[in-house]
Amino acid sequence: MWNNKLKRVICSLKSLNKLPKSFAASVSLGLLSLFFVPLVGNAQEESDTSPALENSTSQYPADSAEAWLMKLSSAVKSLNYSISLVVLKPGVDSQPYLWRHAIDDNGVELEQLNLLNGPGREVVRIGNKVSYFEPNVPPYSLQSNTINGPFPSELLYDPEQLFDSYEFVLVGRSRVSGRSAQQIRVISKDKSRFGLNLWLDQESGLILKMNMVNLEGQLLEQIQVTGIHVSEKPDPFFARIEQAMLPDILVLRNQVDNPPRWKITNLPVGMHIIKQDIHRLPMTGDVVDYILLSDGLVDVSIYLQPLPSASASQDLIGRHESNTILTRQIGDVSVTVVGKVPAVTADAILKSIQVVQ
Amino acid sequence: MSQKFENLSALIDGENPQFDLHGNDTITAMKHDKELQQKWHSYHVIRYGLRKELPSQLNFDIAANVALALESEPAILAPKKTWRDTRLASSVVPFVKQGSQMAIAASVAVAMIIGVQQFNQTDVEQPFSSAAPILGIPGGLSPVSFEQTRTVPQNDMVEQKRRINAYIADHQQQMQLKSVELNPISNVEQQVEKSDLQSEVLEQTP
Repeated sequence: MWNNKLKRVICSLKSLNKLPKSFAASVSLGLLSLFFVPLVGNAQEESDTSPALENSTSQYPADSAEAWLMKLSSAVKSLNYSISLVVLKPGVDSQPYLWRHAIDDNGVELEQLNLLNGPGREVVRIGNKVSYFEPNVPPYSLQSNTINGPFPSELLYDPEQLFDSYEFVLVGRSRVSGRSAQQIRVISKDKSRFGLNLWLDQESGLILKMNMVNLEGQLLEQIQVTGIHVSEKPDPFFARIEQAMLPDILVLRNQVDNPPRWKITNLPVGMHIIKQDIHRLPMTGDVVDYILLSDGLVDVSIYLQPLPSASASQDLIGRHESNTILTRQIGDVSVTVVGKVPAVTADAILKSIQVVQ
Repeated sequence: MSQKFENLSALIDGENPQFDLHGNDTITAMKHDKELQQKWHSYHVIRYGLRKELPSQLNFDIAANVALALESEPAILAPKKTWRDTRLASSVVPFVKQGSQMAIAASVAVAMIIGVQQFNQTDVEQPFSSAAPILGIPGGLSPVSFEQTRTVPQNDMVEQKRRINAYIADHQQQMQLKSVELNPISNVEQQVEKSDLQSEVLEQTP
């Protein structure tokens, strides 16, 4: 059957010969790729039948991007799956992860995230307790219901939070990780933050690929799923965890609320102040006024450090991986913004800060 | 008239039924029809627009307009006897005349492509590099290092670099702790859970 189709393609190619050459070449390339993609086959296909997802998308039209995100969210929370993924960031070696999730007999969520290269880094979540096992640091646990992994946790667990600040556009279908995928474009409503391209598994709704792109559409960071396995039963790994052996939860002492010594007047649409305090930097021991901003997808840190203008720091802008770092001297205070936002946005936020004496 | 646009639209949407049989009328028609070629272009621009894929700067093809402008430009009146007088060159003239417009248009297009490529090139000279991992930070964070190429008084720069590295490390740590801040659970509940855990441990120890 394929032979017949190929013959027909070749016939049609012959008849195209009279066209200008470049045009004919591009058309024929397009045609060839169209026909060869199905031939390559589904190398990675290993999914069992996934449990059906109902009722999760009822409040949005069935074929809307919002409905797809709700499907993603409910799949991430409710399915038993095991996903291999690779994180690519500029200037850093690729980071392969294993990400597993299961629901145990009591309905408690179990989750594991394991960095597979180097000395490794393992995070295990059981319900509301997240335990970290990392090199050079004694294991510890935090009270949280999400693992801060490669994917933004609000996107996976609470996408509705993002609907105010980002626009979600259904683009089309393509083939990712050997599976048929729905592409969704994520654009900040005020064009002040980087965009995302998401590819969700047509069948299960799980995420297959995520690209972070700058405002010109150039790739900044990429997460590619290389293998996905959805199963009826929890992975046997979770049965081996001895819950009593996990480290105790660290109790973070609460900050005494001081009136803030600054004011921000201009925040991008959907960005809020998540946290503000005065703390010591672990590396230098300097005391800084700290502000954490977040819109659910990106986090931006602002540091205010008093510096006498005699030793005034240079105003400078730089980049670390895809973080923008911007420092400016405002009076006697050096203000630094760190986060995955365009430099223009970082500058707009920084310039709107007023130091209150 | 509108039928031929309809056919073109169907072709672009992949809905043209006769596409993979023998040739295609629409494509044949398009080869000769300037208007159809223009439509082909604008349909695609529209499609990119609808999908929100338009680049932030639109580079429309200005080669044709440049060629047109060149044509209407006044001729240069300086005498040109040097090469025109040779026998060989005189026979080349018609060819040159014919080709010049194309060549100019093409060179403009090439210049544009080069310009666009240069414009779009990612910044290779990132003035940052990775340093050895910093030990002992809770969270086992990725190594951070911030370097700058500009020369400034050494002491200040080292000091500032150190400060910014500290900011980056702290930013990573704050992001990890964020989920804890976002989901505050009262101390009482925490204690209850802890005591639960302890009783579990006690039950399991013989």
